[in-house]
Amino acid sequence: MFAESLDLLPALLSARVAGLSTLAAVCIGTPLAWVLGRYRFTGRALLENVVLLPLVLPPTVVGYYVLVLVSRRGPVGEVLAAAGFDLAFTWRGAVLAAWIGSFGLFVRAAQAGFELVDPKLEDAARTLGRSEWGVFWSVTLPLAWRGIAAGTALAFCRAVGEFGITLMVAGNIPGRTQTIPLAIYDAVQGNRMADANALSLLTLAVVALLLLLARRGARVRF
Amino acid sequence: MVSVELLSHLPGFTLDVSWQVSDGVVALFGPSGAGKSLTLHHLAGLRRPDAGRIMVRGRTLYDSARGINQPTRDRRLGVVFQGFALFPHMTVAENIGFGLRRFGAPERRARVGELLERLGLGPARDLRPHALSGGQQQRTALGRALATDPDLLLLDEPLSALDTPLRRALRDDLALALRGFGKTAIVVTHDLAEACQLADQIVVYEGGRVLQVGRKADVLGRPASPAVAAVLGIRNILEGEVLEATAEFIRIGWQGHELRAANWSERPVLPVPGSRVAFFVRPEHVRLMRKDRYGAPVERRINVFRGDLVGETDLGTSLALQFRVAGGELPARGYDLEIEISRLAHEKLHLDYDRQWTVAVQPSAVQLLESGELR
Repeated sequence: MFAESLDLLPALLSARVAGLSTLAAVCIGTPLAWVLGRYRFTGRALLENVVLLPLVLPPTVVGYYVLVLVSRRGPVGEVLAAAGFDLAFTWRGAVLAAWIGSFGLFVRAAQAGFELVDPKLEDAARTLGRSEWGVFWSVTLPLAWRGIAAGTALAFCRAVGEFGITLMVAGNIPGRTQTIPLAIYDAVQGNRMADANALSLLTLAVVALLLLLARRGARVRF
Repeated sequence: MVSVELLSHLPGFTLDVSWQVSDGVVALFGPSGAGKSLTLHHLAGLRRPDAGRIMVRGRTLYDSARGINQPTRDRRLGVVFQGFALFPHMTVAENIGFGLRRFGAPERRARVGELLERLGLGPARDLRPHALSGGQQQRTALGRALATDPDLLLLDEPLSALDTPLRRALRDDLALALRGFGKTAIVVTHDLAEACQLADQIVVYEGGRVLQVGRKADVLGRPASPAVAAVLGIRNILEGEVLEATAEFIRIGWQGHELRAANWSERPVLPVPGSRVAFFVRPEHVRLMRKDRYGAPVERRINVFRGDLVGETDLGTSLALQFRVAGGELPARGYDLEIEISRLAHEKLHLDYDRQWTVAVQPSAVQLLESGELR
């Protein structure tokens, strides 16, 4: 049932791509989620929608626009190429694709986590002499961590499963940009069902475990 | 000493207050939505007023004219929030020690230990807030606020989160703790009994304004206006016409009768005859005359009125009777005087079926309200 010698390269690549994109989502998404969860400002709804858009648009549409931006002749890609940095059809492009596909999920969950923190607790910390920075680290973050943890797990799972945007931006180059979902697709196309079966099982196990952990750790609605 | 001048516009509400109090326990008292908590938030720097000045013990915390607005963390405050706002992810000891970061670990431990001891929280020191009783939560919040040795202690409805029986017990503890504080403690409350027990000075709030500021005895014994009397829950606020005013007495024409009020002995007022005057009679100061013990004929005695009981309200331990004085116009509320009597007296006097009564009011129980329109 399993392949004699399963090519584990897609799994390793997927781990690296999903890991890096999740790291980026946490680093950029946490401050954004905090701002969205704490403050009311003009343009807030617009910002929320922009963050959510990649989750609801067809992945190929998102992928198309990203490709237009980052290809060597695109406005972003041109600048990056001049600096000797290629995104399109590289593993870095796959990271970008996974990040775009999963960022909104992280922000939603983390924002819910921040919204659950009673502002009165932050006020209490202020009256006890803490600076805004101190309030964030001593009160806000420890109380919002469940939402952040949930968002991290969700974003990682989504990044592992990212297919459409990755295919458009990074292509399907074995050994370079072929992540697990693309490898499974390839295996099925090539009638290598044992390979597809093995990679699918592996993915199912990892993602199911992560989801379980995330839902147990985080009593946050998402 | 604390002096406060604040102007703050919110949608549909304006806070415009100015008051000054000396060291001690001060109650900001008034109905909900009067601006008491908002004042507290301005004092704490958690919300910025539109204009004004806040001085605490010679330090300027806020002055719009000079562009001073100290951030909350520098105001040296202790705040007990409504609902306590304890940090749920920290133990009792960690909550109390939260404001002590600038001290070294040994000093911090000593201070926290001393407070835990004083507040009787020793056995609870390693518990999280959700595992505490209401009383323990309140004491933890108080300990956290006192730990930093603040210049000013602010308490926002400190007992409202507790059940009634517990509230009465904890009021004693809190009163003791606040008296021991030594500097100024400001308590926001809408409960008069709480204000009376905790505070020695009262600031009466209503509708974003301050109606009266003073020592407790002055505010309670001599409300400045019918509005203050109403906020204080005084029920028989009445109006009449001055017939004659002397240093001892004021004769008031009221509902076709004459009512005599004792003038203030230390600071008598002399309203012009013919002017309108507001006064109040506390319901517990109206006496029902027993029918088997008449003295002089009713007509020759002062402040004695015949009339009918037209209704009653059960207040639990006592009853409020509604009394309509014979003659005179029917007042808007349907009766002239409210009379409060004990349940025992109510039974003994057979008030259930005997509705015609004569009541007497001591001239000293008729208290003048100095100014203001009746509402």
